Amino acid sequence: MLRVEDLTLGYGGEPILKGVSLTVDSGRFASLIGPSGSGKTSILRAVTGLQKPDSGSIALDVPQNAVGFLFQDDALLPWRTARQNVALGLRIHGMARKEAETRADDWLAKLGLAGFGDRFPRQLSGGQRKRVAIAQVLALEPRFLLMDEPFASLDAIVRTNITQELIGWVERENLTVLLVTHDLEEAISLSDVVYVLSQGPNARIRSRHEVNIARPRDLLGTRDDPQFPALLKRLWDELSAEAYSETVGEAAQ
Amino acid sequence: MTVRLNTAPVRRVLILAILILIWEGCARAGWIDPFYLPAPSAVANVIVTLFADGEIWPHLEATFGAAVIGIGVGLVLGIVLGFGAALLPLLAELLEPVMILLNAIPRVILAPLFVIWLGIDLGSKIALAVILVVVLIFFAVYNGIKEVDQRLIERVRTLGGGTWVLVREVYVPSVTAWVLGNLKVAVGFAFTGAVVGEFVASSRGLGYLLQFAQSTYNAGLTIALIILIMTFVMVLFTLSERLERRLLRWRYR
Repeated sequence: MLRVEDLTLGYGGEPILKGVSLTVDSGRFASLIGPSGSGKTSILRAVTGLQKPDSGSIALDVPQNAVGFLFQDDALLPWRTARQNVALGLRIHGMARKEAETRADDWLAKLGLAGFGDRFPRQLSGGQRKRVAIAQVLALEPRFLLMDEPFASLDAIVRTNITQELIGWVERENLTVLLVTHDLEEAISLSDVVYVLSQGPNARIRSRHEVNIARPRDLLGTRDDPQFPALLKRLWDELSAEAYSETVGEAAQ
Repeated sequence: MTVRLNTAPVRRVLILAILILIWEGCARAGWIDPFYLPAPSAVANVIVTLFADGEIWPHLEATFGAAVIGIGVGLVLGIVLGFGAALLPLLAELLEPVMILLNAIPRVILAPLFVIWLGIDLGSKIALAVILVVVLIFFAVYNGIKEVDQRLIERVRTLGGGTWVLVREVYVPSVTAWVLGNLKVAVGFAFTGAVVGEFVASSRGLGYLLQFAQSTYNAGLTIALIILIMTFVMVLFTLSERLERRLLRWRYR
């Protein structure tokens, strides 16, 4: 479980986030949506320790090495092959090179990249690189997964396929997930709970919405659920109001 | 074996051969004064004689020795100082202005000073080659480390990597790419240092021979030596390029 309480965080000057509190229970999938600049990514960075909060607390019921972070960009080491990139985390955690690379090949195969182990990142397509990045994180068998718009750069078909594979994995392994996304439909399709952040600076949690669509979920099928359009409209209205408040604020200045 | 005439290297060789033939024809026709520009066949004859009577070998040994030792010492010193300055702000404070100054001036002006300090033997030539190479490599390493992709650092950190893993997996490969990218230029710099050092004051070396050829108005020997130096630098240049392509195959494959 993740519990963030009264988190305030900034990069000097006015804080981006002020007094943010949210909870993600074990085995649940939470999404965080909000306007650009509302500090969504900063919350994930604070949870992983990449960003030091000004105040507040972050409590996790799993050790840091059980937390996986899927970045917005694939950020693979360009001088390492796909196999070596996937094996990197395993080797950092003490596994022998040979065993780590065998395990890496297994993970590449699971993600549809059997035979691609010797390729360097620049020899892979955007979708393939993203799969390598997913394999790198999942190979460590995390219990808690943080995802920062991991599929934003992919085209719609590849994005839907990879997201469906990942959601299948999350459901099978009962992982706890916190996803940052701009895509309201993606947030509803994947999540058990959606948090909406207000416009920054001084962003806070504006609202929390439960999504009671049955699991296992089919990414496209969830859109036929009667809850889906109603929730989508509420989220849309809330984000539009935040965008309007920003416009009014700028005009007043 | 068939040779394709429409490739760039073949076209270049053909044009060079045509120009040499025109030059040879003009010289034989008496249209060019051989005092200023001897025929290519005469220059070739000088080169053959230099090797045939063995006169060239001690000079080649001196120049190559100074250049190769200059590259070696310059690389090691540049890498150590670059790493040191990037990791220790105090060292950077001291070194950066010195290196910027050395980079801004034509460093060959130090040649007379090195002769005064180290004499006319190999030492002063090596010193000039080193000072030319070390500034280049220092900035390659220093900037290479400072401009390492932060996303890669964060990726390795979120996989659990500490300082040593970062150095091994991110900094060293990144800096290697920068250094190898500058190796070809370093080869040219090292030869410049060795030859200019010999030109200023020496008892052997290609620079010494050049100085002798100039003082005796021997255009044939001068052109022969220029061609020799260009050939050797091109050979080392090609070897550096092959080394770069081999070690940085992730960039070229």
